Amino acid sequence: MGTSYIYKRDATRLFIALRENGKRFKIYLPKESKPVIDGEEQDINFIEQTDSQYCFDWNDKRYNCELVSRDQNKTIIKVNGVEYKFSLESIFSYIRHGMINKDGKQLNENDILSPMPGKIVDIFLSEGDLVNVGEPILSLEAMKMQNEITATCNGVIQKIHIVQGQTVMKDDLLVEITSIDV
Amino acid sequence: MKKRILIANRSEIAIRIIRSAHRLGMLAVVLQSDKEPDALYLKYADEIIPAKDAQNEKPIFLNAERIVEIALEHQIDMIHPGYGFMSENPDFAALCEENGINFIGPSPELIRNMGIKTIAKKMAIEAGLPLVPGSDGAVKDAAKAAEYAASIGYPVLLKASAGGGGRGMRIVEKAETMERLFKSAYDEAISAFGNGDLFIEKYLTNPKHLEFQILGDKHGNVIHLGERECSLQRKHQKLMEEAPSASLSPEMRKEMGDMAVKFAKQIGYFSAGTIEYILDESGTFYFMEMNTRIQVEHPVTEMITGVDLVDWQIKVAMGEKLSLTQDDIKMNGWAIEIRVNTEDPQNRFSPQTGFIEKIHFPTSKDIRIETGVTHGSIVTPYFDSMIAKIIVHGKDRPDVIAKTLKALNEFSLIGLKTTAPFCRAVLQHEEFVTAKYTTRWVDTYFTPEMLESEDEELVGALAATIIYATDYLQIASEIPTSRNESLNLWVLNKRIN
Repeated sequence: MGTSYIYKRDATRLFIALRENGKRFKIYLPKESKPVIDGEEQDINFIEQTDSQYCFDWNDKRYNCELVSRDQNKTIIKVNGVEYKFSLESIFSYIRHGMINKDGKQLNENDILSPMPGKIVDIFLSEGDLVNVGEPILSLEAMKMQNEITATCNGVIQKIHIVQGQTVMKDDLLVEITSIDV
Repeated sequence: MKKRILIANRSEIAIRIIRSAHRLGMLAVVLQSDKEPDALYLKYADEIIPAKDAQNEKPIFLNAERIVEIALEHQIDMIHPGYGFMSENPDFAALCEENGINFIGPSPELIRNMGIKTIAKKMAIEAGLPLVPGSDGAVKDAAKAAEYAASIGYPVLLKASAGGGGRGMRIVEKAETMERLFKSAYDEAISAFGNGDLFIEKYLTNPKHLEFQILGDKHGNVIHLGERECSLQRKHQKLMEEAPSASLSPEMRKEMGDMAVKFAKQIGYFSAGTIEYILDESGTFYFMEMNTRIQVEHPVTEMITGVDLVDWQIKVAMGEKLSLTQDDIKMNGWAIEIRVNTEDPQNRFSPQTGFIEKIHFPTSKDIRIETGVTHGSIVTPYFDSMIAKIIVHGKDRPDVIAKTLKALNEFSLIGLKTTAPFCRAVLQHEEFVTAKYTTRWVDTYFTPEMLESEDEELVGALAATIIYATDYLQIASEIPTSRNESLNLWVLNKRIN
């Protein structure tokens, strides 16, 4: 479990880079693998870093990046001689600012309700974890069958309303997820 | 004894001339300005003369008397002026001559005549060159200008007789604005050139800038080495050039080239020179002016003809006869020159000064690099912003465009912004690819957004995120309850390896 999923639980490694023109990049920096940008792992190689310069290689093209200026979370970066301005947010502050799901209704659509009465056998994730769409969150036993309940979106586990061993009724709220899908 | 050649110039062109001097078995002597005492070109010279120009407002390269004094003190045989500075100053050429120093270029008289546009035009008419309809000499006042403009039709261009570089120049669209624009052009000409003479000509709304390279000797032989297209300009400053031009048929090339040669012969021209034409949308061409020096963009001609123009300038100055005939000149393939100027194309081409932390040029058998800078060079406000040229050769136009784009992707400069991304945008633009571009391209099509590309934006977002994340995770890891055990980000892992 887990290795086939792009997001590896640790939500502190997920950031949003927003350009002035409104363009948004969802950037996940996994510990042991290539960066995931907008949900796709990119074969970007890190060549070197000196002071405020970063050099990357991607599809046989060289990218020389220089940090031009930084003011709080506003960053100007020069890539191959052209400047781009970004404001950066961690996924938590991004969610806090309500920038992902502006209407509350949409938020609830990603809440996980119990599909049937049963008993929580296992919970695989914790609050604050990043979860992938289709990734099992918990195991629910009903009629002697164990059912894996999976996430309906990529997102951050906001709240877990149940504990292991608890008995739940149909439509009980199990887990709240904030989607990071746009 | 080896001949001693003094190069009254700096940067890439000084290095370029040193190369020719060495090839011809001469000693290259250069001037060291206090305004850039560590300049790259100094390294290539056989002898460096400190010019001690720190107290002067003008750099040594503009001080004719001092240059000649230095030349005499140091037993200089010849002076190469390069381009800009003293290269088209007839008084400087005359001063060299008077002091028995061989000035590498045409005679002072030729420089003077070609520098005064009204005289140059008169001589061009005599040689049968077509001119843009315009006033026969300077116009007296705004009223006379308006009268004349009415006869040739608006828009018209007011130009300072002594002008250049776009100063003392105004486009007048209609009669009502003539008086005001005449006055401002006049004032500008007075302050820039000390001469307020203005002439007037028909303004072509969408012209191309073409120029023919001329080479002549002191024995009456003149040939041309084909044309260059320099339509890509901003405020009359060229930004990139190509040779040949896709806008000329072989017949037009022959006609314009023959006319250029005829003109040069008629005025007794020798050394390298350039006949500038403009070409309107209907394919009609007009003589503009003649430049009596080596041009910045001369390498594109060298790339396709295989003729070394600076070598020939020196040989001609020494009285050598041109061994090339017009039939020897064959065009091979296509060449593009990228001017790397330290100007910010995202910010109205504002000049950038400071350190070049790192610079990396592409290398290939098809690429020629002319640079005046290297790692750690300083770009000062005292001199021109052009720091390097990347010249690329291809078998045809599509090939050279592709190769130039590749070369630009391999070029990098850390520390200052340059016009390289601008040139990259041009090379990908429809009007350039189809060779329809004119001197109005920048005004008509250019937007700073064209400099951006999606892949670079994405990598920029990644780099910005890594910088932010490094701090963010560091702060997070300092909180004891945090689940962040370490900083070993993907990027930090890679950094150690």
